[in-house]
Amino acid sequence: MFGKGLLKGLSITIKRLYGPNLTEYYPEVKPILPSRTRSSMVLEPEKCISCGLCVNACPNQVIILTSEKDDKNKKVLQTYHMNMGRCLLCGLCTEACPTKALKLCQVYENAVYHREELLWDMMARSKQANISSGKVE
Amino acid sequence: MMIEGTQEYSLNMGPQHPSTHGVFRMVVHLDGEVVTKVEPKIGYLHRGLEKMAESRTYTQFIPYTDRLDYLAGPHNSLGYVQAVEKLMDTEVPERAEYLRIIFAELGRIASHLVMIASGSLDISGWTPWSYCFRDRERILDLFEMTAGNRMTPNYFRIGGVSQDVPEEFMPALKSFLEDMPEMIEEYYGIFFGNEIAQSRMKSVGILPKELAENLLITGANLRASGVQYDVRKAEPYGIYDRFDFEIPVLYGCDTYDRHFIRLLEIQESKKIIEQAYKDIPAGPVMTKVPKVLKPPVGKVYHRVENPKGEMGWYIVSNGSTKPARVRIRTGAFVNVQMLPEIVKGWKIQDLVTIFASMDLVLGEVDK
Repeated sequence: MFGKGLLKGLSITIKRLYGPNLTEYYPEVKPILPSRTRSSMVLEPEKCISCGLCVNACPNQVIILTSEKDDKNKKVLQTYHMNMGRCLLCGLCTEACPTKALKLCQVYENAVYHREELLWDMMARSKQANISSGKVE
Repeated sequence: MMIEGTQEYSLNMGPQHPSTHGVFRMVVHLDGEVVTKVEPKIGYLHRGLEKMAESRTYTQFIPYTDRLDYLAGPHNSLGYVQAVEKLMDTEVPERAEYLRIIFAELGRIASHLVMIASGSLDISGWTPWSYCFRDRERILDLFEMTAGNRMTPNYFRIGGVSQDVPEEFMPALKSFLEDMPEMIEEYYGIFFGNEIAQSRMKSVGILPKELAENLLITGANLRASGVQYDVRKAEPYGIYDRFDFEIPVLYGCDTYDRHFIRLLEIQESKKIIEQAYKDIPAGPVMTKVPKVLKPPVGKVYHRVENPKGEMGWYIVSNGSTKPARVRIRTGAFVNVQMLPEIVKGWKIQDLVTIFASMDLVLGEVDK
């Protein structure tokens, strides 16, 4: 009978109509992402030993860091910048980090108005409370 | 035949057109509404991935492989890492092999769901689209909780996978597999069994078996034209030879069969994942590989069955940390050439449906 398939389809949609809601009211309700989600980066400068392994692991030369030697001939981190315009958020830098100073976090509202703002100063960002906690408030 | 006093009309469809599924341009030659000729124009999404591979180390290129067929990221990476492992003669731990199969087949299901969804959308069926995307979302959630990203998981590594699955992964996978029969029933009821969809798709855009073979069409498009060929069976890679599954084949050669075979393949992928879920052993997920990879001098060709067709990786190593040459054979790129052959004589509305049935992803076509 022609139209049987149409009725079947309608019955599925009517059944679905009384099911639970699947959509979210973003940005009023902000989703909590899994702890492994790669959506932003955070640095703990005191843990960083300026070894430069993250710089070598990166496929796109995103990371620019400078360090100076102190009186004990130990490297001390001076500046740490990430050019997020080139970053794939692949996480290879965090895998390479021996002290886990560089970590991924779940801050996902990363849009900016100007291109210059894509150059993240990671030392300054580490002081921002919501970023170091890794959660969107 | 042209009516006297009229002339052929040529229309640019794309690159910014919703039904070209990306940045694909067709120059459509029309006689009234009837398509007389189509010239596909590609290259708008060309990123030079082969060249990029040559300027990055072997590990650094893995994130880029997800961006070839971005609807099924894991299977592209699978081809690449297996090719490098073949070159280096590296063994992969059992658990990692199983996880790779689970991820690759989940990626296949996700890709086919998008194909069915956008196919229905192109004949103005909005509802099936949202049903397919609802279920694809659950697969992407599985990817996200394990690998950290939804469409570009970057999960596989040379010698294993990046990390083991979290605790909540296996229960979530199990509940997804349990819900699948109902989902498939829904897709059938709402889209494939619908008479309007059938009348739009059946006997439209015939790709005969001989033509498909001559044009080197691979993947589901070939199997919908009556050729039972799949790399997973023809030349099993990884641990595919351990699983019991069928290669679905349909003989209609039309747009409807090219859509419907995806639904059958989803069922077969489900079978593979169920077996992998049952047999997966405990153990390490990564073998010991040097931090700096230097494969021996040589070349390798490895092929896998990507959701879009056969994908081949040709890698030449000169013994340094970077490959000397990488050539990627993608199924979708070769499948483009069937478009001008099968749309001749159909109306412009059918062109949209026929194009959707080919399941092209421009990331893979343009590389």
